[in-house]
Amino acid sequence: MDAVILITGPLYSGKTDYARTLCPNPAQICTDAQTLAADCPDLEALADHLAGQYAVVTVTEVGGGVVPTDPAQRAAREAAGRLGCLLAARANTVVRVFCGLPLVLKGDLPQ
Amino acid sequence: MLTFVVGGAGSGKSAYAERLLAASPGPRYYVATMQVWDEECRRRVQRHRAQRAGRGFVTLECSRDLARLRLPAPGSVLLEDLTNLAANERYDPAGAGPYTQEAVREGWRALHRQSPHLIVVGNELFCGGTDYAGDTAAYLKLLADLHRCLAAEADNVCEVVSGCPVYYKGKEPVYGPV
Repeated sequence: MDAVILITGPLYSGKTDYARTLCPNPAQICTDAQTLAADCPDLEALADHLAGQYAVVTVTEVGGGVVPTDPAQRAAREAAGRLGCLLAARANTVVRVFCGLPLVLKGDLPQ
Repeated sequence: MLTFVVGGAGSGKSAYAERLLAASPGPRYYVATMQVWDEECRRRVQRHRAQRAGRGFVTLECSRDLARLRLPAPGSVLLEDLTNLAANERYDPAGAGPYTQEAVREGWRALHRQSPHLIVVGNELFCGGTDYAGDTAAYLKLLADLHRCLAAEADNVCEVVSGCPVYYKGKEPVYGPV
């Protein structure tokens, strides 16, 4: 399997549509991986698992607003951001999709 | 030449877009979309007017039904902003309501037909989480759909971060004569 590609970007920015252009097999795409970070006891292991299991992983950037007053939401948001960093470290290619437009942040897109 | 400028609150997107308009061929029109509801709106309008003062822009007010706006003459236009326009169409009782998507798209297209150089400002609202109460998620989805559609039609798309434009498509426009 090719090394994992991480796709990051704001909510509703076109990440999943873009992932499908890179990988025709939906079973090899994990979307909204940041939702798995909440309550995860071991983010490193989760990142290892996702990077090993999928060709493309997408995460939604959720850390931009006001810090939530609810402790669980606060922790989930923090974990989501950290998972994104851990995945980016494991990915050969990191792409940010903004308004449907990809910008390569790390590495190169596969030919 | 269609340029889409997106940025968060206080990112400098308006100042950057106004710089682009100032560098474009005249006549230069500033299409203001904000409906003035209260004192805060009035102060915001005042600040933006002061920012634009002396730059020779002609201000046209258009809070909705943009497709019907007629420019006095072909020129360059800054439309500020998409977020207000969509909110006015969706929530004003006289607005397009369920047809907001179409009304806003036809609006910028009609404007672009009259103005070879069009700059549109939008707000980056999509990095603050995914859990929204009530109608907010639907409004965000509507805006995001408009953003992706406009970005697909635009020649240039940038996000302004601390006053610095980051181009996702095209580049900072260099304008020829109208």
